[in-house]
Amino acid sequence: MRLLTERTDIGLRDLWTDEDTVEFQVDAPRAHDVLRTLRDDPDLAFFMLADAAAVDYGIGQRFEVVYHLFSWKHPGWLRIRAHVDRAEPRIASITDLWEGAMFHEREMYDMMGIVFDGNRDLRRIYMSPDYRSFPQRRDFVLPDDAADSSAAGVNPLERPETWDLTLFNRAPAVTFPTSELRDDAPGEAVEDGTTLADTSRPR
Amino acid sequence: MTRIDPETRIPDPIELDRAEEDRLRSVAGLLPLRTESGEYAGFEQVGIPDRPPQTDRERDVYSLGEGEMLVNMGPQHPSTHGVMRLVVKVRGEIIVDIDPVLGYLHRGIEKLCENATYTTVLTYVDPMDYLSTMHNEHAPAIAFEKLYGIRAPRRAEYIRALVVELNRIFSHGLMMGFLALDMGGITPILYAFINRDEIVDMLSAISGQRMLFNFFRVGGVNFDMNDEFLSRLGTWRGRVLKNIEMNEGLITGNEIFRSRTINMGTLSGQDAISLGVTGPNLRASGVPFDVRKAKPYSIYNELEFEIITQSGGDSYSRYLQRIAEIKQSIHLIDQIIDKMPHGPVQAQVPGIIRPKPGRAYGAVESPRGLYSVYAISDGGPNPYRFRMRDPSFISLQALPKLMPGRLVADTMAVMASFDPVMGGVDK
Repeated sequence: MRLLTERTDIGLRDLWTDEDTVEFQVDAPRAHDVLRTLRDDPDLAFFMLADAAAVDYGIGQRFEVVYHLFSWKHPGWLRIRAHVDRAEPRIASITDLWEGAMFHEREMYDMMGIVFDGNRDLRRIYMSPDYRSFPQRRDFVLPDDAADSSAAGVNPLERPETWDLTLFNRAPAVTFPTSELRDDAPGEAVEDGTTLADTSRPR
Repeated sequence: MTRIDPETRIPDPIELDRAEEDRLRSVAGLLPLRTESGEYAGFEQVGIPDRPPQTDRERDVYSLGEGEMLVNMGPQHPSTHGVMRLVVKVRGEIIVDIDPVLGYLHRGIEKLCENATYTTVLTYVDPMDYLSTMHNEHAPAIAFEKLYGIRAPRRAEYIRALVVELNRIFSHGLMMGFLALDMGGITPILYAFINRDEIVDMLSAISGQRMLFNFFRVGGVNFDMNDEFLSRLGTWRGRVLKNIEMNEGLITGNEIFRSRTINMGTLSGQDAISLGVTGPNLRASGVPFDVRKAKPYSIYNELEFEIITQSGGDSYSRYLQRIAEIKQSIHLIDQIIDKMPHGPVQAQVPGIIRPKPGRAYGAVESPRGLYSVYAISDGGPNPYRFRMRDPSFISLQALPKLMPGRLVADTMAVMASFDPVMGGVDK
């Protein structure tokens, strides 16, 4: 870890550690250079890409592409979090460094919609080729959700008016046990800071 | 918070994202997803998808040269180890290119887990790689314990190590059987299943379930060892080596088996690292990487064992590596039983776990390689992000690299030597 923090030329910032992981953050345009340096520098020698995953921090926030690397010369896993603009989700592909990143990047493109510049085979991998949505984004609405379901309205919780609790309170003659309140229903905060759904969930 | 008018239908997300995706692809200089109708020649040809190619690589695979044709292997092929389709481009009987088509078994387990509490996540990951269920639970348990800041009691850690090694033995044993089965030998799989059933009965005695054990908990394991488990363990331990060696004797010296595996699908250590191949397949190529030694988790730093490697890197080496690791696991189980401490098996953990906001990475050595979990907590009862890296998903990329120039019939033999499980590949 000392070795990593001394190497200021790599461009790593925001050091954070836990018991067996060392974490740095980079901006997307620098990520490819950083990873190449980490792999090729004989003092560092992070020869193995353990994992590459995308994280969505929600609307108005950012994407992150998270790389986990392994080296014999380093006591922990190395985590590189590359910040990707959510409005313009692009980052350089690392398939030229590790061929095995291909399936990782295809999965990230399929699930999150992040485009990898320089990837020669950026297709969907799990969903069918004519699918157009990105299912693991936080703002993804499930196509079979509530209003579109053929059973819509059978369960009061599936009626659109129950999604907004203020509307729900005004709606007459719809009752339901509080224990069925969904976590994602817009909850009114009660006094102690927890939501209705939290306190009512059976243990 | 936006009010939702009951009369308003939710806009279709598919239509919203279509324009977004096209814009992104054009910025990145990729091929457009649609072209004018009639422009694309593939509409008339059999075996070529009736849409334009989306990438350069897809265009290469699906454009045919002189005397070439496309063959679909799967998705319902008996030896694809699940539901997967291989589009094989052949010239005569020689393979020119392979394009694996995945997703037939995709269940969106990551998304499911993001809507489940930390305790229930451990049940959702079970059916992923259904031959290494204990390992599937081990990695999230490690990650969640890191997030929550607790440790499992020492006895729980020993029981964990015991059950994952038992799981490794039957998984590797089944791989020996399946490899022979894919070359036409039906007997070894029967003996492999005898060995597997003994272990599975043993694990069902301790966990209460026969296949998807659901044995691990955040902060420990579900049950302590009971008498039935121990007596079955003793009986099994007495005859397991004989069983494995008998099965080995059926396969190893077989002339057909040897001629179809030796120098077949040879993967160099350099290529294996680049392709992300891990586990026994990587060690069979001579790279001594084992998570149990590289980043010891659980109690593996208290056990004595050496990393086994082979030098060949071919299918035969991968098979020999499995046998060596079975014997190594039996050796580990002996040590674990000797050192088993007394004490509780479950730490005090509330019913709904709310870790502080943070991130944690848990990695284990599954029978197929590095299986890891990256979990993010936002302080709520569900993981904000739950990411699983499945080793057989990544190892599958070796197939298109190894097979060109080989015969069609060898595809399944090489694939079986990598021992992929489609439940894990498709998540």
